[in-house]
Amino acid sequence: MQLDLNKLKKRSSYPFETIAVALSFSPRCLPVLAEAKRLSTLLNASLILIHIGSKTSDKEKMLDDLMDEVGIDDNKSRIIWMEGEPVETILKLCKLHIVDLLIIGALVKENFVKFYIGSIARKISRKAKCSVLLLTNPTEHPLDYKKFVINGIDNPKTIHTISTAFYLAKHLQVKDINIVNETEIIGLDAAPTFENVDAETKKSQKSFAANEEKVLQSIIEKNITADLSITIKNIKGKPGYAISKFAKDNKADLLIINSPDVQLSFVDRIFTHDIEYILADLPCNLLIIHSRV
Amino acid sequence: MFNLLHNDLIILLTSIGGILILARIFSELGKKIKMPIVMGEILLGIVLGPTIFGAISPYWSAALLPKVGAAKIAMEGITNIAVVMLLFVAGMGAQLQVMLKQGKAGAYTSFTSMLIPFVLGFIAVWFFPHFFTFAPDRKLAYALFFGIAMAVSALPVITRILMELNLFKTKVGMIIISAAIFDDLTGWILFSFVLSIMGEHSDVSNIWFTVGMILGFGFFMLTIGRYFINKTLQWIQQKPAWAGGVLTIALGLCFLGAAFTEYIGLHAILGAFIMGIAFGDSVHLQEKEREIIHQFVTNVFAPLFFVSIGLKVNFIDNFDLPLVMLVFFLAVGCKVFGGYLGAYLGGLTKREALAVGFGLNARGAMEIILGTIALNVGLIDAKMFVALVVMALITSMISGPLMKKFLD
Repeated sequence: MQLDLNKLKKRSSYPFETIAVALSFSPRCLPVLAEAKRLSTLLNASLILIHIGSKTSDKEKMLDDLMDEVGIDDNKSRIIWMEGEPVETILKLCKLHIVDLLIIGALVKENFVKFYIGSIARKISRKAKCSVLLLTNPTEHPLDYKKFVINGIDNPKTIHTISTAFYLAKHLQVKDINIVNETEIIGLDAAPTFENVDAETKKSQKSFAANEEKVLQSIIEKNITADLSITIKNIKGKPGYAISKFAKDNKADLLIINSPDVQLSFVDRIFTHDIEYILADLPCNLLIIHSRV
Repeated sequence: MFNLLHNDLIILLTSIGGILILARIFSELGKKIKMPIVMGEILLGIVLGPTIFGAISPYWSAALLPKVGAAKIAMEGITNIAVVMLLFVAGMGAQLQVMLKQGKAGAYTSFTSMLIPFVLGFIAVWFFPHFFTFAPDRKLAYALFFGIAMAVSALPVITRILMELNLFKTKVGMIIISAAIFDDLTGWILFSFVLSIMGEHSDVSNIWFTVGMILGFGFFMLTIGRYFINKTLQWIQQKPAWAGGVLTIALGLCFLGAAFTEYIGLHAILGAFIMGIAFGDSVHLQEKEREIIHQFVTNVFAPLFFVSIGLKVNFIDNFDLPLVMLVFFLAVGCKVFGGYLGAYLGGLTKREALAVGFGLNARGAMEIILGTIALNVGLIDAKMFVALVVMALITSMISGPLMKKFLD
C-alpha cells in the first residue's frame, strides 16, 4: 500500500471515520481497547488495532480473547501487526490508513528521565499528523464523558478544534463544555515599572481579553449544531499550564487542544511551554486535534 | 571608614522621603499629558539635580542632596539595590519559551536585530573614534558597549505599544516580542562581559574565564536553577501560613544571584536579570504575587533610581547636539534595518518587516539603565549618557506611530 499524502491534505479534522488504537499487551490494554470500541461504535467509525512487535501465536490468542471480551466485531475492524521502531511505525501506519483518531493509553505523569527522553505515547502526541486521544485512566466499562474543556486560544487551528469538539460532544452527549482562553501578556507586567501608567495598562489588558472573547463567541455561533451548554472562560496564566490546571480543578473528563504549531524537541521540554506543560502532568484524558491546516 | 552620623541619617531619610513623594507628584502630573512614569521621574531628577536646582542654589542642593560623605554613599547603595531589582523585574518579563515558538521569521529577526546594530555600533567607534570620547585603553570596551547600546530593546515598552495597537498576538507582534527578549538577554550578557573585561588585569585567559563563567551561570540558572526555583515556589504555595514568603524568596534570590555574579567578576545586574528570568518563568508564581513584586519595585525603588539619573548629570551642559543626532540616527538606522532584514528574510512582507524594525526600535528604560551603569563605572562620559537618554526617550515615543503607519 502506497502513502498518498494528497488524501490527508486538507482532510477535515472530523468526522472520525477511521479510529486506530495502539496496543502493547500491557495490563491497560483491555480498558484502552474497550474505550476504543465504545468510541468507534458511537462515532460509527471503522477500527484498526495496531501492535508494533512480533506476531506470535500467544499474542494472537491474547488479542482474540481481548476482542471477544470487549465485543469487537471482526468484520468492522482490522488488525495490523508490524515490527519496527514503535513511534515512527505507528505514525506511518496512521498516514497510510488515513486514520482520523489514534487512541493510546498514557500515564498521568512519566518519571523525570522518561519525560525528558520521551515515552512512546508522548512522542506520538508531539508528532502525529492525525488527532490523538491519550487515555489516562481507561476502564473496562467506560464511563460517559460529562465535561469537556476546550482550548480557545487565538490561533487559526482553534476553529477546527472547537468544531471537532462540538461534533464529539454531540455524539457522546456531553452537555457541559468549557471553552478556555488563556491570556498571557508577555512583558506587560513589567510595563508599569518602566514605561506606562497603571490605568492604561489595565485598560489595554481588559480590552484585549474582551476582543478575544468576541472572536471566540463568533466561532461558537458559526459552529454550534447541537443543544450544548457552553461557557467561555478567560483565564490568566501560561498557555498550557493554565488550561491544564483548569481542567484538573474542574474535574474535566476530556481536555481538547490544538496540535502543536511547531516541531517540538528536547529543548521544548527544558523550556517548557504550551502542550509540554500538559504532557508533563496530564490533568485528565487528552484529545489533541490535528486540523491539517 | 564612614559612619552614618545623626545629621547624615536625617539628610538621607529626608532625601529619600522627598524624592519618593515628589516623584509621585511628577508622575501624576505627567499622566495628565500621557507621559510615562519613568520620564516624570527623570524630569524630577533634572529639576533637583545640577541642571536646575543645583545651578540656582548650589548651597541648598549640596545640603539636601550631598555629593560627598556618608549620606551620599548610603544613597548610592540604595540606587545600586534599585538597579538590581529593576533588572530582576525586567528578567521576570522575558520568557525564553516565546523564542522557541516563532519559527524561522522569529529566529532571523532576533539574530539580525541584535547582530547588525551591534556590529555597526562597534564599527562606528572602532573606525571613527574622533566622534566619541573615551579613555585610550578602553577603546575595545567602549566600542563593545556602544554596539550593545545600539542593539538593546525594551520589552516592557514594546509590549505596551503592541497592546495599544492591538497587535500583541499577531504574527508581527509575536516576532517583535520574541526578538526583543533575545536582544535583551544577549544585550545584558554582553554588557556584563564588557564590564568584567574593563578591569586592569584583563588578559586573554581572564576573558575566556569570564565567558565560561557567564555561559556556565546562565546555563545553570536557566535549566537546573529554574527547575529548583519552580519546585521551591510550589512548596511555598502549599504553605498558607507563609504569607509573603514568595516576596521574600524573590528578593532573596535576586540579591543572592546579583551577589554571586559580582563575586565571580561579572556585574551584579547579570545575576539579577538571569535570576529574574528563572523566577518569572515559574508556573507557581501567582498573578497577585507578581503584582506585589512589581508594585514594590515600581513605587519604591524605580523612582529612587530614575530620579538619581538626573541628579548625576547636568543635562544642559552635557547636551551635545551633534552627538545626540549621531547616536539617535545611528540607533534608529541600524535597529530598524536589522529588524527589517531578519523579518523580511523570514518571510514577512516589506511593510510588515518595516513595522517589526520600528517596533524593535523602542529602547525605553533598558537603554537608560545600561547608560547609567556605564556612566557609573566611568566607561562613558556625561555627554554620551545624555545622548543615550534622549535617544531612548525619543525612540520609545516614535515606535508606536511608525509601526501603525506601516501596518495600516
